[in-house]
Amino acid sequence: MDSARTRLTWLLIAIVGALTVCPVVMLVLGSFSEGLTAFGHFTVDKYVQAYTDPGFFEVMVNTTIFVLASSLLSTVLAIFLAYLNTRTDIPFKFLFKIISIIPMMIPHLLFTVSWALLLNPSNGLINLGLKEVFSLDSAPLNIYSMWGMILVEGLLDLPIAYLIIAPAMASFDVALEESSRVCGAGTWRTLLRITLPVLRPAILAAFILGVVRSLASFAVPSVIGMPGRVHVLATYLYEMIATGFATDYGKAAAVGMSVLVASVTLIIVYRALTAESEKYVTISSRGFRPSVIELGKARMPLFGLVSLLSFVLIVLPVAVLIYTSLVPYSMVPSAKAFSMMSLKHWTDVLNDPISLLSLKNSLFLAVVGATLGVILSIFVAYVIVKVKTRAAGVLESLSYLSFSFPGIVIGVGFMWFFVQTPLYATIWALLLGYIATYLPYGIRPMSSAFVQIHSHLEESSLVCGASPLTTMRRIIVPLLIPGIVSGWILMASMFVRELTLSVVLSRPGTEVLAVQILRFSEDGLWGKLSALGIVMILISTTLVVMATLVGNRFKAAQG
Amino acid sequence: MKKLLVALFVLCAAAQAQAQDKAQLDKAKAEGKASFYANITAVEPIIKAFTTDTGVTGEYTRISTSKFVATMITEFEAGKLMADVVQAPLPVLDLLKEKGVLATYRSPAAAGYPDWTKKDDKVQIFGIEYVALIYNKEKVKAADVPKRYEDLALPKWKDKIVMPNPANHATTISWLIGLKENVFKTEAEWRSFLQGLAANKPMFVASFGPTPAPIESGEKLIAISMPKYIVTKAPAPLDWARISQPLMGTPRAIAVASKAPHPAAARAFVDYWLSKKSMEMLAKDVGEYVLAPGIYPPIDGIKEAKVIAIRELSDAEIQKWGAEFKKIFDVK
Amino acid sequence: MEIRIRGVSKYYYSDGKTIKALDDVNLTIPSNKIFTLLGPSGSGKTTLLRCIVGLETPDTGEISIGDDVVWSKDKNISVPPEKRGLGMVFQTYAIWPHMNVFDNVAYPLQVRKLPKDEIRQRVAETLRFVQMEGFERRPATKLSGGQQQRVALARALVAEPRVILFDEPLSNLDAKLREETRKELRAFLGKLQITAVYVTHDRVEALALSDSIAVMRAGQIVEIGTPQKIYFDADHRFVADFIGRANLVKATVRAEEGGCTVVDCGLGRIVCQHRDIPVGSEATLCIRPEFIRIVSGEAPAGSNLVNGRIESLVFVGEAYEVEIGVGAEHLLARIDPDAHLVEGDAVSFTLNPAHCLLVAI
Repeated sequence: MDSARTRLTWLLIAIVGALTVCPVVMLVLGSFSEGLTAFGHFTVDKYVQAYTDPGFFEVMVNTTIFVLASSLLSTVLAIFLAYLNTRTDIPFKFLFKIISIIPMMIPHLLFTVSWALLLNPSNGLINLGLKEVFSLDSAPLNIYSMWGMILVEGLLDLPIAYLIIAPAMASFDVALEESSRVCGAGTWRTLLRITLPVLRPAILAAFILGVVRSLASFAVPSVIGMPGRVHVLATYLYEMIATGFATDYGKAAAVGMSVLVASVTLIIVYRALTAESEKYVTISSRGFRPSVIELGKARMPLFGLVSLLSFVLIVLPVAVLIYTSLVPYSMVPSAKAFSMMSLKHWTDVLNDPISLLSLKNSLFLAVVGATLGVILSIFVAYVIVKVKTRAAGVLESLSYLSFSFPGIVIGVGFMWFFVQTPLYATIWALLLGYIATYLPYGIRPMSSAFVQIHSHLEESSLVCGASPLTTMRRIIVPLLIPGIVSGWILMASMFVRELTLSVVLSRPGTEVLAVQILRFSEDGLWGKLSALGIVMILISTTLVVMATLVGNRFKAAQG
Repeated sequence: MKKLLVALFVLCAAAQAQAQDKAQLDKAKAEGKASFYANITAVEPIIKAFTTDTGVTGEYTRISTSKFVATMITEFEAGKLMADVVQAPLPVLDLLKEKGVLATYRSPAAAGYPDWTKKDDKVQIFGIEYVALIYNKEKVKAADVPKRYEDLALPKWKDKIVMPNPANHATTISWLIGLKENVFKTEAEWRSFLQGLAANKPMFVASFGPTPAPIESGEKLIAISMPKYIVTKAPAPLDWARISQPLMGTPRAIAVASKAPHPAAARAFVDYWLSKKSMEMLAKDVGEYVLAPGIYPPIDGIKEAKVIAIRELSDAEIQKWGAEFKKIFDVK
Repeated sequence: MEIRIRGVSKYYYSDGKTIKALDDVNLTIPSNKIFTLLGPSGSGKTTLLRCIVGLETPDTGEISIGDDVVWSKDKNISVPPEKRGLGMVFQTYAIWPHMNVFDNVAYPLQVRKLPKDEIRQRVAETLRFVQMEGFERRPATKLSGGQQQRVALARALVAEPRVILFDEPLSNLDAKLREETRKELRAFLGKLQITAVYVTHDRVEALALSDSIAVMRAGQIVEIGTPQKIYFDADHRFVADFIGRANLVKATVRAEEGGCTVVDCGLGRIVCQHRDIPVGSEATLCIRPEFIRIVSGEAPAGSNLVNGRIESLVFVGEAYEVEIGVGAEHLLARIDPDAHLVEGDAVSFTLNPAHCLLVAI
């Protein structure tokens, strides 16, 4: 058994390594070489220049605050929502599924712009409303600030956090909580002392993913941070590569290396903190139906809170999108605006052959990419959680490698890599790049699910005479269905709106949705952008509904 | 007799040129397609027209300015440059020329273009990415519209301006330098203008793309932006300030790639691109300022405006000034 | 099917230290008997079981089941668990929650690709055997602990394995159910001619179920024997102490008399079961509480007679558990619940030499 596991581990290290190390190696080469590509004379100038910039320190402080606070916000919100959904009798639970997924499908750029429309100090709708209601002279809220960035980034990363925490919370062994209640601890105390500590691996995973994500995020820093003159790493990098025409990605990669080091450190810390996750084995054979906590008087106020959240997270941005897609140009809602509404942007977009092609390509990448990605993730998560050798640790770190590089830079790494292969400028380059970069989106939910499958369930299958592959197929995969569905949804909706890699790798014939959206945004065509954005949301929604239905059918088939 | 000879000669030459054209087009058709790498946007109609008119498939790859050089050099060095024709701001093409990415080609279609657009036998300039002060004509009274660039520094525009970030947006940096070199009499006047502008706390965005939206919606009133949005974003209430000084912009240029997989198609494409028909489409549909004689974008007053190309700045110069502007505009 | 274990060691490394989970274990598990590995937690019994079944890989040695070597360091043989043809009941039962009872039990047959009819028939037979007929369609999550245990047993038995292994299978059941299930298990296993290896830390379970017991400590086998041998006649103080409650008294060997060994200790001079311990050396006298007999008249001849005082008295239903002070020694004894004794009473008791066990220190 051990030797089979070792073979599997090394095979996966080879696959994941090939996917994630190659672009990073190219970037390392690029950061140490003179000139604009990965192959030049050796030099450390780029590091010296990047790290001796006087503004670098302030950027680092801002980045730290931004990244930690937004991840904290998304994690806390995710815990709150997951707990309410899985463990209490809050009404309208379907809302949670929507909250958790819809924001993920909204292109980050659009989501961020929607918030700017609502909260900008000049004519943000909420500010206008507040000024009206409280008869204020000036706008009370200014989104173009650190708190604005934290708020929007926190909301953007909420779905990932939720999709990691909720399945773990759902399959939690109630006996642990019940025993705490019996010991005389109240609901709150039980939550703080038992539930959350036991869920530590999932919570930490969500937090770390949030950190890594917000480090790489570009939409919020550029749309909110730049006007507010709050500079974080992403905008610093942008400034570095955008000033001038001969963009030096090697220098950007040199800065990216510190992000990479930070991310890898975080992952090592995470592994150390959850090394004893055997302690947290919670699903055994005794079923996994958690008890429901009655909220009593708090039920409606809490529901009100959730409704408000879903309004803010979904209704507002989607409404802004629909509105923007109908008015001829950016307008504050008014009688005039409504009178000018038309479907012009829609007909333009739907008659544009490139938009249609990009739709087809994105759909292909989402379905095929997410499926392949999830299959790979199952094996990788298995090794990470169940094998736990040093090599498994290497594998986990590898899986985060290209994910933790700032988006603008890793895209170039992939370009430097793929140009050496026959895959360059084909849709397969996009497919492989997507899987490599977003592998953690598949692995995380899967490993949270794996942690909770007692190893006896697997071992007993082996003793019964089933080969490891049969065991995977008949025992592990069915038990993992919730994790698989989460992983697939995360990956598929990510792939539908993937931008950072696509913008570098897509070529005529391999256009994808987000690149098309970016073109519209670069031309300031918000109307078309919103129309295509809604199409994108609809596609993702369809994929999510399909994935959920398939997942449910599997569950139903198992009785 | 002499006249007759000249006429005959011209006729012959024309016939020969036509024959050459025909030969080139046949070759281009045999090659099948022309791949066009460009940073200019919204040119799909021209590509389509090219395909219909010549029978050679035009293939348009949009690459943003910040990734242009990196992408080209990467592909070129790996021997995989798929571009036949390259279009980018002039400084980018100059960089590529140095690296040997561009081929020698002087298009006959550029015959009527001003002399300064034919910098050398490789690169042809065809347009200017012109910058102007764009305002919301519903919210700004006619009397308030700036008459000179200096007016933008007036305190009445405080918190009402949007512009690309002058610390890193190359075109904006070049434009501000252009003001210094072409508009202001002394550097001191220019610097006091910059300080006034900085004191008005303009909102910074990443590039020109996001500049018109805040003007349309009324979040801001005036932008350092591009007049082409008046065309592309119609019926948005945008107009440009008719100032007494010249408008300025970075030159847009085009060239054939040195290792073009389809060299004849590439030349055919450049010829087509520089033709009156394409340039008219570019001006009319996209609002671009083109240098083909007698063609103007359908923007009121542009015909009369003086539009000049900004001197080419080296990257080192852009970075130096970017850092300088960062300090000047860093008003908390 | 006989299981032979030769020189098997297994090391774990943690925090730079090496822990010997198994330390050169040599053991032959006889065919068609119930063989128990008994020991405190951390003694290596579960590790040994998992090495036999193939879920752990030893670092040295050789394991063979019947005529097949399933693992050998020297011969570089490593048969994976699914090829060893064994059955196992896990401590958690490992009933797959996404399957019903039928699918759980049918699984070993399904993976062997048997015809569907045969599977149905054999599952039905096996479920009948474990008295679970009619539960085929029941989802696994709707079973009680005892039912899960039986399903787990049925699953382990259905493919007619050469050997069945149990890893503390009763520890998740409540006391009453545990006792019943133990009896049933004994009956089931009695009916089958099968080699069973049973791991437990519960001495009562071990004594009640086993044909043979191996007591383990710190990765080593300390002693092997029948339940009676282990209980009455252990060679090691650790075994004697672990297998049942025992009063341990320091003693010095004084003489060999009439096939008995005579010692001096805190209880006076005591005649014990014979042991080959040199006169004058130290030993431990081991007396089980149930063999301390209170006398209320004439003491029977040939027994050791000791006088003491009742120090405490606890009623436990079928007996009193009393603590008797003899000089500086305190002995735990179980006495008849009818005895009319109170704290402070002086008592005399006898110790049959056959139950006075001497073990090395």
